[in-house]
Formats: sequence, C-alpha cells, structure tokens
Amino acid sequence: MTIKQTLLRLVVSTTALAFGATMALAEGKTVAVIGGKADDPFFAKVKKGIDDATLVVQAHGGTVNYLMLQNYDNIGGDAANLVRTAISQGASVIAVPNWVPDAQDEAIKAAQAAGIPVILYNSGGGDKARELGAINYIGNEEYTAGLAAGAYFATHGMTNVICVNTVPGAQNLEDRCKGVADGAAKNGGASNQLPLPASAFGDPTAVAEAIKATLLKDTSINGAITISAGDANSAATGIEQAGLTGKVALASFDMDGAGLDRIKAGTQLFAVDQQPWLQGFLAVTMADAYVNYGLAIASAPVLTGPGIVDSANIDATLAGAGAGYR
Amino acid sequence: MTDPTPRMSLGVVLRRPETGSFLGLATVFVFFWIFGGANFASPNGAASWLNVAASLGIIAIPIGLLMIAGELDISIGSMVPAGSMTCAILSGHFGLPIAVGIGAALALGAVVGLVNGLLVVKTAVPSFIVTLGTLFAVAGLLLGLAVIITGTTSVKLQAGPEAKFLLGHFIGGVFQVTIFWWIAAAAFWGFVLHYSKYGNWILAMGGDKVSARNAGIPTDRVTILLFMCSGMSAAFVGLSQAILYNSAQVSAGQSYIFNAIISVVVGGVLLTGGYGSIFGIVLGTLTFAIVNQGIYYTGFDANWASLIIGILLLVAVLMNNTFRKAALSYAPRKGART
Repeated sequence: MTIKQTLLRLVVSTTALAFGATMALAEGKTVAVIGGKADDPFFAKVKKGIDDATLVVQAHGGTVNYLMLQNYDNIGGDAANLVRTAISQGASVIAVPNWVPDAQDEAIKAAQAAGIPVILYNSGGGDKARELGAINYIGNEEYTAGLAAGAYFATHGMTNVICVNTVPGAQNLEDRCKGVADGAAKNGGASNQLPLPASAFGDPTAVAEAIKATLLKDTSINGAITISAGDANSAATGIEQAGLTGKVALASFDMDGAGLDRIKAGTQLFAVDQQPWLQGFLAVTMADAYVNYGLAIASAPVLTGPGIVDSANIDATLAGAGAGYR
Repeated sequence: MTDPTPRMSLGVVLRRPETGSFLGLATVFVFFWIFGGANFASPNGAASWLNVAASLGIIAIPIGLLMIAGELDISIGSMVPAGSMTCAILSGHFGLPIAVGIGAALALGAVVGLVNGLLVVKTAVPSFIVTLGTLFAVAGLLLGLAVIITGTTSVKLQAGPEAKFLLGHFIGGVFQVTIFWWIAAAAFWGFVLHYSKYGNWILAMGGDKVSARNAGIPTDRVTILLFMCSGMSAAFVGLSQAILYNSAQVSAGQSYIFNAIISVVVGGVLLTGGYGSIFGIVLGTLTFAIVNQGIYYTGFDANWASLIIGILLLVAVLMNNTFRKAALSYAPRKGART
C-alpha cells in the first residue's frame, strides 16, 4: 500500500467518523454493542465484523453505538456499567458479552425490564441466554472449545498440559482451562492451570519467563496452551528458552499472524479459533433484524467455534488472515 | 581539605543509602533460593529474573530520575507499544530497513517526551495529569493509525541478523541481550546522576524546584530532557521486544507503568522526590523481578502468587525505609573514628 492510499484511507475514515456522529442524532433504532478494547487483537476482528454489520444497520435507518471497555481490570463490573450506560442512552437493543455473569446479570435484567431486548455474544453461552431470556447467544462456548483443545492434545500424545491464564478469574478463560483439563482427562491426559498475576499482563518477557520456569520445574509437562494469541508468542519464547522446542507442544486459543506462521512452520501444534468476525457481524445483524422486523434464528445457541487450525488447514486460514477476517 | 574517603567499617556500610535496598534484594533472593530449589539458582533461573528486570530496568531508571526530580511519567505505558508498533509497521508492514524502524521509534519517544516536558513546564499542570493525558492520547493515536495502516492490531516483524544480534538474541541461549543494554543504561545514568553537574541539579529540583531555579539551574531544560529520555527509553524497550518476539501488539505495556514505579520505590527513591540513587533503582528492579518470577520456581500454588508478591515487596520496602532512616538521621561526630 502506498503512503498516498494510506492518507486517503485516513481522510475517508475520519469523514466516516464525523458522519457517524451526525447520524446518531437521527431517528431510527440504535444497536448498542458492548465490547472489548479495540486494541486487543482478538476484539479488533470482532469490531471489524461489527463495522461491516453497521452498513446493514445504517441501510435500515439505524445506528450502532460501540461501548468499549477501557481496560480489563474489572471486566464484569465495567461491562455491567456499560449496559446501564446503554440503557440510559435509550438503546433499542443491546448486544453484550456476558463475561462475568454474577456481575452482569443484574444489569442485563435491568435492560430487559426497561423493554430493551438483549442478545449475548462472545461470552456467556446458550444456557445463560436461555436463562436470561436473551434473543440468542452467538459465539463460542468456551468450555466446549477447551474440551476440543484438551482432546486434541491428548490424542496427539501430549498428556500433561498447562493452560496459561494471564487474566485469572475471568469466567470465559476459566472455562477454557477447565475444558482443556476435562478434554485431556477424557482422553487419558491431564491439564493444570498456570494463573499469572496482573503484574505480568502485557509484559511478554514476564510471561515467557514464567512459562519457562514452570516447564523447568516440572519436566513431565509436554504441552502448553495460552488463552490468547499474544501470549502464545511469549510462550513460544519460553519453551525455546527452556530448551524444550519439539518436546513441549504449543497451542493457543485464538490466533494472530505470528501464530499462524508458527503453525505453518511446524513450531506450533494448533490454534483454537472461534471466528471472531462472525461473532461481531452476526450479533449486530441479528440484533438489528430482531428489533426492526422481529426476525430471529431458530437455532440456539449459534456457535461460531471451536474450529481447530493446524497444519491441515493452515493455508486457507492464512488467506483469510491476509484479508483481515481471521 | 580533610580526608574525603569514608572509612569502610560495618557502621558506615550499614548507613549507605543502598544498603536497605540490597538487604531487601538479598532477603527475597534467599527466600526463593530456599523455596525454589536448584532451578532458581541455575543460570537459566537467573535469566528468568534478569531478562524481566532488564527491560523493566531500562524504563525504571529514567522514571526514577523523574521521580527524584519531583515528576512522574506514566505515558511510558503507551510508549512501549508505540515503540514496538512503529518499528514493526515501518520495518515489518512496509518492509523498510530495520534502522528506519528503530530510528523512527526512538524519534517518536523523543517527540512524545518533548510534548510531555513542554506541557509540564509551560502549563504547571502536575506531570501525573499531563502524562496521563498523553498515555491515552498516544494509545488512541496508535490504535487508530495501526488499524488504518495495517488493518490489524498485531503486526509481524522479521528483523535481520544484525538487528537480532544487537537487540533480540539470547546470549548462551537464555540471557536476553537487553541485559547488556540495561547495564550500559545504568552506567550512563549512574554517571549522570552521581558524577555530572546534572545529577546535583536533578536532586536539587526534587528537593525544592523554586530554590533550584533561583540558584541558576535550568530546571525547564532538565525537566524536558528527562521526559525525552524516559520516552525514548520506553520506545527502546518496545522496539527491542518487537525484534525479540517477532511481533508487536497495540495493547502490550500498561503493566510497565506500575511495575516501573514499584521498582523505583523499592529501590529507595522517595515518592516526594529529592532522594535516590541509580544503584538503588537497579537493586529495586532486581528485587521486583525476582519476586515476580521466583514464584514459578517454588512449589506454591500459583493462585497465591500476587499475595506473596505483595508481602515480599512490603518486606523489602520496610527494610529499605528502616535503613534509610538510619542513614539520614545519623551524622558522624567531627573527627570521630567509627
């Protein structure tokens, strides 16, 4: 891409931003979407799906209002507050990940009591959506994804796996690690969680060294899975530093360019993908269709994952990644 | 002139300002040596905390100097990812030579530091607030530009062998080359603070800025320079991480804010400014890194990690304060033989 094209895109997107602000004042249904930080590589793809879906909403005369978490320090409480913000802004429908049900359920019920339908996406699961009376759940079931990962490890000979959790306590991540443990156990393996303190979050060296130390301490560990794509880059270094490349298989929930390159090169076994673009796109289009025309998909939940990306399908995945959808 | 060299007796050593920091470090080291076993004391174990300390330490030293001068810079939390993303976007996404990426990242650090410094000096708004503003501003700018330019928030970077050798390889397979940059930085800043006129200026500014200015110290220039140095140091750590880990993410780096301040305070720098040493900051950084990484060598359940980190840091600081009080309140009698 040339500098000129880049500048052009900058101008175009700035103009689009200005237009978006004007349109929020117009009449029409407002889809409020609560989501993660857009600088989180995973949520950037969800956001891309939301942005693409915004075109559909706008075609129906509505607007999309993306309410973003500023950080993940108090994810449940902050998300609940954003739901209440959406209520006070007079949203027509709310799409929200139910990261910490104990903290968020009350706010979600408050929205429904105010006559605002809610659709769960990304986190929460089908059971929770049914319990709360949400329109549907669109996304991954973390526990199911974990089961798939644990089973993949065990059936490929990795019988002692650590699940590296850089945000211990978040329900979706705990479910992932629990799923890995159960999936491994069902297939004759075992898995323990390695929770890292907040002081390590975002410091790749601290994460890498923690993994290295754990692998050196317990030499029977032969598999490691990280809860995010970025952490997998740190884990790859940690495994290498422990001198265990080839002995400890690496996997990750979600994926990024460096991780896909590792799968292609054979230094990472697999990645569990939940197809985040679909989550953002479907959540917003379904919320829009429901609130405008009463349309709803009968299948519940709508699962976008887990999909395993490994050496068998890496080339097609790389093509999708190049286009920014994966 | 009387004999300026202090007599090296136990009493004098115990009253050195760094003694408290050193004892804090020794305490946590022995703690993890006992509970961590052979792996912790092995070269590979030492690399665990040295690698973490190195990148943190490069940032902590200029932050410590700012704190000694009575200022604070929390925009480093955005400058670390800004440095790594600038380098990765220019040299990875656009495929420009790595030197361009490195140069641009450092230049960006200098510019953000300059903005911080100018705003602090010209507006007299507390530097905590100014840099809080630039922390968010840089993060937002970085995210917006990254998504527009690359369409993603995580950019790959394959650096050439020279850049890898200088900034991103492991000596002996385990020690990050960053450790040597940290040593170089510590030596440089140690000279500046303890042997150049700037050192006295910085200490004087933290003690009383108005008096310092009245005494003819160019406080504005020193403040701006310090902010530029902290911005560049953070950008440097960011770009070397991008080269080391072959990728850059928009979000990494926020933990450096708190971790750097903790390291500096554990290293004996007063939160109110006017007191501190480079050696102390180095010891504080090492203490923090050992406490953070040592836990994984022990048999403790990792769920308790934060609790143990908190308690050990408190112990280290309490020990430090005790000795600093002794050092500050003691004055040898004239001509006394200690």
